[in-house]
Amino acid sequence: MEENIIRIRDVKKIYQMGSESIRAIDGVSLNIRQGEVCCLFGKSGSGKSTLLNLIAGLEKPTEGKILFHKKHIERMDEDQLANFRRQYVGFVFQSYNLLPTLTALENVTLPLIFKGVPVKERNERAMEMLKAVGLEERAKHKPFEMSGGQQQRVSIARAFVNEPPVVFADEPTGNLDTKTTYEMMDLITGMAKKNHQTLVIVTHDLELAEYADRIVVLQDGKIEKIQKKLRGKGEGIYE
Amino acid sequence: MNTRDMIDMALRNLLKRKIRTILTILGVVIGTASIVVMVSIGIGMNKGFAQQLESWGSLQVINVYPSGGMVYDEASDSMKQEKKQDELNTKAVDTFRQMEHVEAVSPVIEEYMYLTAGKYVADASIMGIEPGAMEALGYKVEEGRALSAEDSKAIVVGGGVEFYDPKLSWEMRYTSEPPQVDVLNEKISITYDWNYGTRNADKSIKPIKVDAVGKLSAEGSDSWRVIMPIKELEKLQKARQEWEQKKYGSNNSSNRNQSKEYQQVLVKVDEMDNVQSVQQQIKDLGFRASSLTDELEAMKETTKMLRLVLGAIGAVSMVVAAISITNTMVMAIYERTKEIGIMKVIGASLKDIKGLFLTEAAFIGFSGGVIGIVVSFGISFIVNLVAARQGSTMQSAIPLWLALGGVVFATGVGILSGYLPAKRAMKLSALTAIKTE
Ligand SMILES: Nc1ncnc2c1ncn2[C@@H]1O[C@H](COP(=O)(O)OP(=O)(O)OP(=O)(O)O)[C@@H](O)[C@H]1O
Ligand SMILES: [Mg+2]
Repeated sequence: MEENIIRIRDVKKIYQMGSESIRAIDGVSLNIRQGEVCCLFGKSGSGKSTLLNLIAGLEKPTEGKILFHKKHIERMDEDQLANFRRQYVGFVFQSYNLLPTLTALENVTLPLIFKGVPVKERNERAMEMLKAVGLEERAKHKPFEMSGGQQQRVSIARAFVNEPPVVFADEPTGNLDTKTTYEMMDLITGMAKKNHQTLVIVTHDLELAEYADRIVVLQDGKIEKIQKKLRGKGEGIYE
Repeated sequence: MNTRDMIDMALRNLLKRKIRTILTILGVVIGTASIVVMVSIGIGMNKGFAQQLESWGSLQVINVYPSGGMVYDEASDSMKQEKKQDELNTKAVDTFRQMEHVEAVSPVIEEYMYLTAGKYVADASIMGIEPGAMEALGYKVEEGRALSAEDSKAIVVGGGVEFYDPKLSWEMRYTSEPPQVDVLNEKISITYDWNYGTRNADKSIKPIKVDAVGKLSAEGSDSWRVIMPIKELEKLQKARQEWEQKKYGSNNSSNRNQSKEYQQVLVKVDEMDNVQSVQQQIKDLGFRASSLTDELEAMKETTKMLRLVLGAIGAVSMVVAAISITNTMVMAIYERTKEIGIMKVIGASLKDIKGLFLTEAAFIGFSGGVIGIVVSFGISFIVNLVAARQGSTMQSAIPLWLALGGVVFATGVGILSGYLPAKRAMKLSALTAIKTE
């Protein structure tokens, strides 16, 4: 039995919009295990992104506890959160979110720069990552000179370069065509599995959910059901 | 994030928006240059005073007088007999010599006698000083040399000392061309016979042959003086007293030197800045002391207001520059909101974000400061050129401390102006920032 790396207990996130209160997350409890690929699945507006942001410490829950190992993420201040993200977390976004003025290589080195890794070492590591995503000849290119798929590869390289225990991905293939989508999913899950990293991935595409070890189905801010994958990839049989 | 990476990244961000960066730096250049030039004119003004005073004598020399004269008493608004404290004698001279910062000390005696050159004579106010101290006391010898410690029967003649023919009547002396006497090569003597060269000359008075070794400037307060070693002048003084005694009887003799108290002692201080403190020490011993730095202080005091106004004019343009830095940084934050969000999400600490923006602002300040100083030197040069052409004493001087201070100040203004925007960038929520388009 794998250790639980993230434990979520009775978490609520309520947005106050004037007199109306929106219960984006409405009492969620969930354990995420070390090394698993966990998929947050649900309709638009069901609260997937909100839950992901809560776990990643980008937002504070209105109620409840979120623990990373033994650390309370919901109690961390801005400095501690920055430190937490720098050390333990990688991100992949739907809209890539690369810095437009930096080259592909520089974008990938950025997390290492914030960590204070020396130039030579970080350039080597970033280059290796670019190789792993098949973009070494694009190292000197700026984001606007690359296709969406290529940009997303750079962003995947950036998320994994630091070898974080957890990688969060919010609809990483939302802007890509079907073929590229599968390439990207193979890449991202392959990398996570290889280093035994935990991957929390948001999608509303059931096809992609196949990549997951577990699928957490959200509905109106609540967990509707959790499906476990029983057999190998492609067979799509869930409990 | 280490410092090198931070500077690197800040510079790249600035270079990305070249025109805006250049315009902002230009503001700092103008601000720095106006402050530095204004202050430099203030400093130049003081330097001008100092130079003007230099022509009256050395600013490093203190004149010491015995106390016990009549002094103005503020309390009673009347002249009062000052309490006599201590004798200004050789012992006092030695005390001065021991003081810190004192380079040379010389007692001064003064006698009015004639210089003679052939049939011509010149009225001379002869000052006896320690010959070895002459150079240190700031006498500016234009031709020949100053007196040295070995000199005895040597003199240095002021450029303004004029010879005339004593046989001429008073009117003639003033209307006729003065004879050209080349004192350095002519045989010169000193006499206290006021009838020398006329029918009434006193044959019993033997003029003392002296060697004129140097000539002082024809301008300034020493131009009409003759300087000679104090020992020799004391001998002359004594000879004259004896002669007067013989001629007019003992009652009439001057008793000036009976007590061996000097009427004046000159004290040379190593640096101008130490003059006031040495002067105070001497006053504390119970002597009267004054120096040209007193005048300088007074002049500085009167122009203080003007210098403050000049500084304020410069300060206003610096404030404008500061506002423009703040504006630039705030704009940069608006534009880079998403970027800040991304950096925060992938691990930038609050310190990194704040540091980045402060470094950018500091760099704007620093480069504006450096260029501003270069521009200031240029302006200062032109001001001096124009002033010199118009014969004005106004000038501008930029000492090293002002140049360095200008750069430090501009950098400081940059950091200060960048502080609020940096704080704002730091406080941006990562999530909202990343969602902005
Ligand atoms: N900052 C916010 N302020 C107010 N309401 C919000 C905010 N963020 C999210 N919500 C609301 O919370 C609910 C959940 O939103 P969330 O973004 O988590 O949905 P999602 O499952 O990610 O949808 P999608 O698949 O479209 O991305 C929605 O009703 C949304 O309107
Ligand atoms: Mg979403």
